[in-house]
Amino acid sequence: MLELSRRRFLIGVGLSGLAVASPRLMAAGSTPGEQAFHSRPIPSTGESVPAIGMGTWITFNVGGDQYLIDQRTRVLETFLERNGTVIDCSPMYGSAADVIGAGLDKLGAHDRIFAATKIWTSDGSETREQAATSERRWGIDRFDLLQVHNLLAWQEHLATLKEMKAEGRVRYIGISTSHGRRHRELARVMETEPLDFVQLTYNVLDRESEERLLPLARERDIAVIVNRPFQGGSLFRRFQSEPLPSWAGEAGVGNWAEFFLKFIISHPAVTCAIPATTSVEHMQENMGAMYGQLPDASQRRMMAEYVRQL
Amino acid sequence: MNGAAWLSYSLQDFVMFGPEVFLRLFARINQDLWPWLLLWPLAGLVLPWFGRQAAELPRRLAMALAGLAWIGCGYLFLVRYYGPVNWPATGFGWAFVVQGLLLLLLKGRALPAPMTRPVAVSWWLAILLLPWLSVLEMPDVWALALFGLAPGVTVAATVLLFARQPSPLRWLLLVLPLAWTLFSAATYWALGTFWLLGFPVATLALLVVAFRVNPSPEQTPDSQSVRPGPGRQSP
Ligand SMILES: NC(=O)c1ccc[n+]([C@@H]2O[C@H](COP(=O)([O-])OP(=O)(O)OC[C@H]3O[C@@H](n4cnc5c(N)ncnc54)[C@H](OP(=O)(O)O)[C@@H]3O)[C@@H](O)[C@H]2O)c1
Repeated sequence: MLELSRRRFLIGVGLSGLAVASPRLMAAGSTPGEQAFHSRPIPSTGESVPAIGMGTWITFNVGGDQYLIDQRTRVLETFLERNGTVIDCSPMYGSAADVIGAGLDKLGAHDRIFAATKIWTSDGSETREQAATSERRWGIDRFDLLQVHNLLAWQEHLATLKEMKAEGRVRYIGISTSHGRRHRELARVMETEPLDFVQLTYNVLDRESEERLLPLARERDIAVIVNRPFQGGSLFRRFQSEPLPSWAGEAGVGNWAEFFLKFIISHPAVTCAIPATTSVEHMQENMGAMYGQLPDASQRRMMAEYVRQL
Repeated sequence: MNGAAWLSYSLQDFVMFGPEVFLRLFARINQDLWPWLLLWPLAGLVLPWFGRQAAELPRRLAMALAGLAWIGCGYLFLVRYYGPVNWPATGFGWAFVVQGLLLLLLKGRALPAPMTRPVAVSWWLAILLLPWLSVLEMPDVWALALFGLAPGVTVAATVLLFARQPSPLRWLLLVLPLAWTLFSAATYWALGTFWLLGFPVATLALLVVAFRVNPSPEQTPDSQSVRPGPGRQSP
């Protein structure tokens, strides 16, 4: 759970100031190489979060394998060293919550993260119980963000989540979908419910949410977490052997991971993308996207066109 | 969820762990149980010797060993090791335990006639060759998929016994192996661990062997014969 350290508080205050000046994009000098560091305000409060978070689907589900738990702890450590905070999980992800908990324990990092999980049960009366189980598995007192997973029993869960937020049992509430599913229903929820966050799929190939959901999120002041930023890894499988465009450097892009992630976080409605990885090197690459120049609107169009042609 | 929504899912969307996690299960269970794990493959090796005896007691023992293999594989591999990374594995694990208990309860009845030589040879080939599939995929000799622990080998070998049962018991005993075969084949395909597809393929091949060279008791006039002739094949 994010308890602001002094350093982070100072960065946060600085960034919030920037947010007022430029609510769409907050950038401040930081590591690595003193390049601009990108974070975004959560529209409902103005609190800032780093623009790259971490997903845990598949990657952190390693069961009781101590060797892999230690290895994933190093991935988590790299994420935190590179100023990442937002970690996304779900009770659906097998042992991932326990592995996150073990990593946070080992690194003593419970107060350095923005803890986000989901409620994933068709039993609408189990919201609080499932949140409490997840808190125990992560080793935290409360979550920063609880999201209804894939709109499952969303009416019941959202009603309880609103109560929990009012009681201070959770700081933010939201709802998630992926793979472009049920966008119409999600739009209706966004139009009618007081959400802090939505989570949806958006990447250089899957751009359906540009039509309705991303503009709606801006209109309704809802923060957007982007899942499947690499289309579950298939973007690398398809494009990694291809050269980057000659103008990539001008758009602040040094490798394919940055290409895919900077395309996403440069969208004005996006708060944060949550790539998942099992590898320290990939984590370093992915966190690199949080630094340096971002593509502008015309460069974004060129990026989409470039992969379309490939 | 409507039909169109289901179509948007791929097989990969249902697999919630990576290939490394799965392959390391074999190595982890072997290292954790070393050296006691050798008891299981040893039991697997002697089982056909018991199974080929004319006397009922050794054949009861053969079925009891098969039952213990299913219990070991179900509880240890599936429930304890595989279950935490894959929900359905826990359900399968308990079902394996129940099937193992059933085999123990059935005792001698479950092996009504001695195993034929082709079946015994197929059994030994399965026990000795199939374990290397996971080593080919890993590759680490600790990853041997051992009979009595690894479901692929255990299921492939024991279908040779189940196919020998009279109906409807035969079909009752084959439901779970067939369900596992389907489930594991889909999993290995989605994980891209193609060597492991050898387990489901071998299970189906051994089932065919069992039906062809090992006629069911209803079709065997001399069900106690130790050496059925090669011409006595089921249609
Ligand atoms: N409905 C929902 O709420 C929902 C649905 C889907 C996803 N999510 C969330 O969103 C997160 C992200 O989505 P995702 O995990 O499905 O897919 P993703 O982040 O788009 O892709 C993950 C894959 O990309 C590979 N990868 C990561 N960084 C790489 C790099 N720098 N170079 C090469 N390959 C790289 C990873 O392999 P390596 O391990 O080899 O790096 C992994 O196979 C999930 O983990 C989950 O938290 C939520």
